[in-house]
Amino acid sequence: MEVTLNHFLFVSGLLFAIGLAGVLVRRNVIVIFMCLELMLSAANLSLVAFSRFNLTESGGPDYNAQVFLFFIITVAAAEVAVGLAIIVALYRAKQTTDVTQINSMKN
Amino acid sequence: MPAYYLEIIVVVLGLTVLMVETFVSLRDKRSLGWLAILGLLVVLVLNFTVVETGGEGGNTPFWSFYVMDIPAQWFKGLALLATIFVILMSVDFSRVLSKGICPEVEDDGVDDCAENQVALSEFFALPIFICAGMMWMASAHHLVSIFVALETVTIGFYVIVAFMRRNVGSLEAGVKYLILGALSTGFLVYGFAWLFGVTGEMELGAIADALNAPDVHRTGALFAFALILIALCFKIGAVPFQIWIPDVYQGAPMPVTAFLSVGSKAAGFVILLRLLEPFMASEMLNANVTSVLVIIAAATILFGNLAALPQTNFKRLLAYSSVSHAGFLLMAVASAPAHPGVVSPVAAVSYYLAAYLMMTMLAFLIMNLIRVQRGDENLEAYKGLAKSSPFLAFAMLVAMASLAGVPLTAGFVGKFWVFVLALQEKHYYLVAFGVIGAAAGFYYYLKIVKSMYWDSPADAGSSAAVPVVVAWPTRIAIVLLVVGVFYFGVNPGALLSLFL
Repeated sequence: MEVTLNHFLFVSGLLFAIGLAGVLVRRNVIVIFMCLELMLSAANLSLVAFSRFNLTESGGPDYNAQVFLFFIITVAAAEVAVGLAIIVALYRAKQTTDVTQINSMKN
Repeated sequence: MPAYYLEIIVVVLGLTVLMVETFVSLRDKRSLGWLAILGLLVVLVLNFTVVETGGEGGNTPFWSFYVMDIPAQWFKGLALLATIFVILMSVDFSRVLSKGICPEVEDDGVDDCAENQVALSEFFALPIFICAGMMWMASAHHLVSIFVALETVTIGFYVIVAFMRRNVGSLEAGVKYLILGALSTGFLVYGFAWLFGVTGEMELGAIADALNAPDVHRTGALFAFALILIALCFKIGAVPFQIWIPDVYQGAPMPVTAFLSVGSKAAGFVILLRLLEPFMASEMLNANVTSVLVIIAAATILFGNLAALPQTNFKRLLAYSSVSHAGFLLMAVASAPAHPGVVSPVAAVSYYLAAYLMMTMLAFLIMNLIRVQRGDENLEAYKGLAKSSPFLAFAMLVAMASLAGVPLTAGFVGKFWVFVLALQEKHYYLVAFGVIGAAAGFYYYLKIVKSMYWDSPADAGSSAAVPVVVAWPTRIAIVLLVVGVFYFGVNPGALLSLFL
């Protein structure tokens, strides 16, 4: 069987859906954060697939998308660095990483 | 001077603030705030002198990701102004801030951490870096550069929202903003990937051409549009993605709340305008895009205004008010550009955001003073303010009148054009929702005016009778904003002539 663009897009859509579902149903902030990273990976996979199958005139892949991918990875790393620092600070203040416990603000 | 020097200067200014803090021993670190404000004022002046690179400069292949047109210049100015006011507020806020950073004072009663003004310089430097991101966003014309600029702003905001790390409210706001901000990034990137897949292009001009071509994959393009719209609705706080707004605004330190509600929203709208342009220009997608925007605008206006009615915390009230203003702005975004004799949607949005900056910053400057000196963010603290501090009460009256949309203020003109545009488009249901929303707005904005002028403080002998001290830079800022609200309300052409 030949692997086509649709196969890649299906897997990437699946990854995105798993990530989104994880963000919505999980309660642990760390797990939610990992699911968010999964969503970014899904986007990366689509980008590479589109780059591989949208051939340019010279017959090579479109490297625009692959460069974009490196930007996404870099930004995601920065986001994780800041995010984990905030989660650690939260844990030290409240002794919990359960999102249902983060509800001190009310009308 | 080429336009991109502005961002470079701003980044260097941020680094300078950090370097001065490291290598110079300052007695009072608030002077770093004045340094930052001075530097940003210089950049604000330089912003008027830059050359436009829409013409010959913009055609070089390497620079296709950066444009300098009138909206770009306008939004760079807004970002700079917002940052200046925010740093001014941070100077006033510094005492509360150190309380939020430092551990509990030990038994000997000496508060070393607050004495040394720990981490204050970072609190001045981070808004400057965020400002550089917003300025780049105003010029970004390429998916990669939009993404990187947007993330510079968002990640900077994660840090300053959670800045008071001993304060549970600030931390909670930080975590909520982190999760929902990262979620919106996920949607945005996935949408960008699909947009690239459908069009094969990354530059917005080329994307517009590709979307107009007859052989474009319609479902794929609409899927990309939906993902991008979800992400940007998070940023601007439109229904149904506004859930984070009240909690984050309430928990974040006061200057950061002001920055979020003005700077972040303006940056979100400039990106929205740039990214929607190709979709609106495509005949095949135009109808779907417009109808989705109209529904979101109506829901946002209705939700923001009705949810604001019962609020008793002033910050939370302004959070819902910012949701409702996002709705009014979307009314303008949803209209097509070509109507002879009427302002273009871009001009209407730009004017509205400038007016929104003036009135919201005015309200936040005063709230900030009350918060620092009376330690209270609730509406209770404003009872009888007209007796103890008539100047502040009058300025707050102007801000509230403009936010509600009383004629002769900038807020009225902004709303007026938005309604005119919606009527031109024959969006009559949307106009009806807008009228309901604006009417509800009068109730909760004027409730504050009532409590300032007609109510007396709950306990007469307490701090509520003491006048609020206003330092002279803050006083100048308040006077300038009050004058601005009236001047541009009576004479809107002074601002709009830039777009004609």
